[in-house]
Amino acid sequence: MTNAQPTPIPTPPNGKPKIGGMARKEERSFYLFILPWIIGFLLFDAGAIIASFGISFTNWSALSAPAYVGTLNYSRLIADQVFYKAMGNSLYYGLGSVGLGTIVSFLLALLLNQNVWGMSLFRTIFYLPSVVSGIAVAILWIMILHQDFGLINSFLAWFGIKGPGWLVQPQWAMPSLILMSLWSAGGSMVIYLAGLQSVPTHLYEAAEIDGADTFQKFWTVTVPMMSPVILYNLIVGFIASIQGFVTVYVMTNGGPANATLVYGLYIYRTAFINFQMGYASALAWVLLVVIILITVVQFIVARYWVYYEGDLKS
Amino acid sequence: MGKHEEALAQELQRKGFSRRDVLRIGLRLGLGAASMGMLLAACGKTASTEPTKEADAGGAAAEPTSESIFDITAGDTGAWPKSAVAEPGDKVEISVGHTWDAVFFERQLQFDKLFMQRHPNITVKAENTPWGEYRQKYTAAAAGNAMPDVLYTQFSWAQETIRSGLYIALDDYIAKEKDFNLADFTKPSMVSYQYDGKLWGIPYDEGPGNLYYNKELFDAAGEAYPDDSWDLEKLKAVAIKLTKGEGPNKIFGLGELPSPGDSLMAPNYLFPFGAQYLSEPKEDECLINKPDAVTAMEWWEELRTKGAIPSPADLQNVAWPSFQFGKIAMTLQGSWATPPIQAGSKFKWDIAKWPKGPKAHTTFSAGSAYMITRDSKHVDAAWLYMNEYLSTAGQTYMWASTGRGSPSRLSAWPAYLGSKFAPAGAKNVEEAMSQGIGTHDIIDQPTGPRVTQAAGPIWDLVVAGQKSVKDALNEIFAAVDPIIAENRK
Repeated sequence: MTNAQPTPIPTPPNGKPKIGGMARKEERSFYLFILPWIIGFLLFDAGAIIASFGISFTNWSALSAPAYVGTLNYSRLIADQVFYKAMGNSLYYGLGSVGLGTIVSFLLALLLNQNVWGMSLFRTIFYLPSVVSGIAVAILWIMILHQDFGLINSFLAWFGIKGPGWLVQPQWAMPSLILMSLWSAGGSMVIYLAGLQSVPTHLYEAAEIDGADTFQKFWTVTVPMMSPVILYNLIVGFIASIQGFVTVYVMTNGGPANATLVYGLYIYRTAFINFQMGYASALAWVLLVVIILITVVQFIVARYWVYYEGDLKS
Repeated sequence: MGKHEEALAQELQRKGFSRRDVLRIGLRLGLGAASMGMLLAACGKTASTEPTKEADAGGAAAEPTSESIFDITAGDTGAWPKSAVAEPGDKVEISVGHTWDAVFFERQLQFDKLFMQRHPNITVKAENTPWGEYRQKYTAAAAGNAMPDVLYTQFSWAQETIRSGLYIALDDYIAKEKDFNLADFTKPSMVSYQYDGKLWGIPYDEGPGNLYYNKELFDAAGEAYPDDSWDLEKLKAVAIKLTKGEGPNKIFGLGELPSPGDSLMAPNYLFPFGAQYLSEPKEDECLINKPDAVTAMEWWEELRTKGAIPSPADLQNVAWPSFQFGKIAMTLQGSWATPPIQAGSKFKWDIAKWPKGPKAHTTFSAGSAYMITRDSKHVDAAWLYMNEYLSTAGQTYMWASTGRGSPSRLSAWPAYLGSKFAPAGAKNVEEAMSQGIGTHDIIDQPTGPRVTQAAGPIWDLVVAGQKSVKDALNEIFAAVDPIIAENRK
C-alpha cells in the first residue's frame, strides 16, 4: 500500500478552490441528473411532508376542520402500548432482515465473484427475484410458508419434522417475514459484487506473499476494503426495512395477535382506518427521528470498523 | 393457456369476481405460479364482464353490459314517484358513489340507464369502489371537498360522517314530496341516519343475519334442513356432524365463529345466552368479561376444537368465499350476500332463521343508506335521483326483484318475497325483522373501529390456542374500557 498523498489543489486568495472547465461541466451534469428527482420531490412530496408536520399538532379526522391540540399527539404516544409494539416489531424486522440479508447477500456476492464459466447467467438468476413486484413475492411466499402444503414444511416433513404454522402462529410470523426478506437479497448482492470487483488484486497478491491463507485474505483484505459498501447496505437496508409495509399488509395484515404489526402498517391504520390524521402524522415524524438517530449511531460506530481506501488506519 | 385456467377464470368473472378476487381464489386453491399467471391472463381476456373502466374511474355514464344475470326491464313496475322538485332546465351530471359487488353493479347500471331515459337532462355517473377501499377514497375526497353528489354510507360510519357535516339534511325535500311516506320505512333501518332531530340519509336496506345452508351437504349427511325448531345446540351438533374430510377438500360445518374483532358479534353469539359485548346503544360499558359472556364464548369455541370451522391455516387453502365453493355447510350472512351466491353457487342452497339460544332469539340487523353530500353541485338533481332510487319502485327494482333483499321500505317486501332470485326461505328474512329477532344493537358508535382493532389481536391468541377464553376476555375488557370511556362523557 502506498503512502503517497494526493497533490493539494492550490487555494486562491478568496479561499474557494478554483474550478476548471471540466469540473464545471461535471457539476452541471450532476445538477441535471438530480433535477428530475428534485422536481418530483418538490411537486409531490415536499408539500405533504411539511403539511404532515403541521397536522401532527392537530386533531383531524380529514372529515372536518383540524383542531390545534399542541403536542398532545406526541405525549399520547407515551401511553400507547400499540406504538411500542409496532416500533418493537419494526426494529425486530429491521435488525433481522438487514442482519440476515447482509450475511446472505455478501456470501452470494463472494460466490458469484468467482471466475468460472456461465457466471453471468448465475448472477442474472440470483438477481431476478429482486425485480419481482412486492405483491407477487408476498403471494408466492404465502404458498411457500403454508402450514399444510408449503414448500418449507414439505421439506421438513422428509426429516420427520412437523413444521409450524409460519404465518398463522404469533411466534413464527415475524421470523417468516424475515426469512422472506431474503428473496430480495439480489439487490444488495449486486452492490457487494461491484465492490468486490473493485478490490485491487495487488492487495491479495501482497497478502499471499506474506503467507496469508484464504480466510486471512478474506478477513484482512476483503472485509476492510468492503466495509464502506457494507455500511452503505446496512444504512439503506435498515431505513427501507423499518418502513416496510407492502408485504406485511398483504401477507399478515399485522396479525396474528399484532405479531407483525410493523410501524408503517400502524401509521396506515391510524390514518386510513381510524382517520386520526394528526396522531398518524405524529407517529410518522417520530419514525423519522428514530431513523435519523439509528443512522447517526451507525455512522458513529462505523468510525471503528469502516476503512476508506487512502485513510490511515489508527 | 390451459383450458382449465381459462374456464375457471371465465366462471369466476361471470360470477362477479374481480381480478384481485381471482388471485386470492387461485392462491387458496393452491395453484402454482404458472397456473396463477394463466388464470390472471385469462381474466384479462374475459375482462369485458367486469364493470367498465369508465364507471370505475368515474368517467362518463357507463352502459350496463349484456352479461348481467338480471333482465333490464324485469322489476320495473313503472310506478315511479312524481316529484315536487322541478327537472333541471339544462343538462347536468351527477355522480354517485357505490360499493357494489360486480354482479350487482350491473343492476346499478341498468337502473341508471332507465333513470336517464326518464330524466334526459340528468346524466348519472356511477363510481363503483371496492369495499376495502371505499372509506379511504371518499374520506380523501371529503378532505378535498370533492365528494360525489350522492354517496353510499354504511351504518357503522354514518353517525361520524353526519356529525362531521358531510351531508345535507333531507327533511325539507321529504316534506315537499307528498307520497314519500316516511312511515313506510322499517324502524331499525332509520336508526343510524338521524341526528339532531333531522334525517341525513335514506336507507335502502336493513336486514338480519340469516343462516345460509348448503342443501346438498345436508342431503349427503341425511340431515334435515334447519327450520324454526332449531336452537343453537342443534346448530352446534349438526355443524360437528357435517364436518368431514381433510386438507383442501375438507367440509366445514360452520363458516365462522364469534370474534370480538367483529362489530356485529353480540346479537348472534352473546345475546342468545343473555350476555353482551358493550352496553347498547351508548356503548359506554364493556361487558365482555362477565361470567355469562365468558360461558357463551367458551361454548362457541368448542366448535373450533372439534375442527368444525376453518382455522387460519384452513383459510389459506379453502377457496374463498368458501360457501360459494361448496366447502361450508352453514354460514351467517346478511341477505345482501344473495346475488353473488345466486350467481356463483352450483349447488342447492337456502336460508333459515338464525337459531334461538337458551335465553333469547336474536340476530344482527344492519343496513346502509345513500346521502346527498355537501359538495353536490346539483342538489335538486341529486334529490330527484334519490327520490326514485329509494322509492318503492326503486327498491323493488334494485333490492326486491333481484333477490338481494331486506329493502328498507315495507312496501317493497312483497316483491322481494316473490322474486325468482330470492331464496325459497326468503320469508325467514321478513319474519326475522317482523318478529323482532333482528336487532340493530351492534357496535356502531365512532369508537367502534378502535374497539374491534384492540380486541381482535387479543382474540387471535385464543384462535392460536395460546390463551384461554377467560384470560383473553379479561384482557379485551382492559383494552376496550379506556377507549369507550369517551362515550361516558
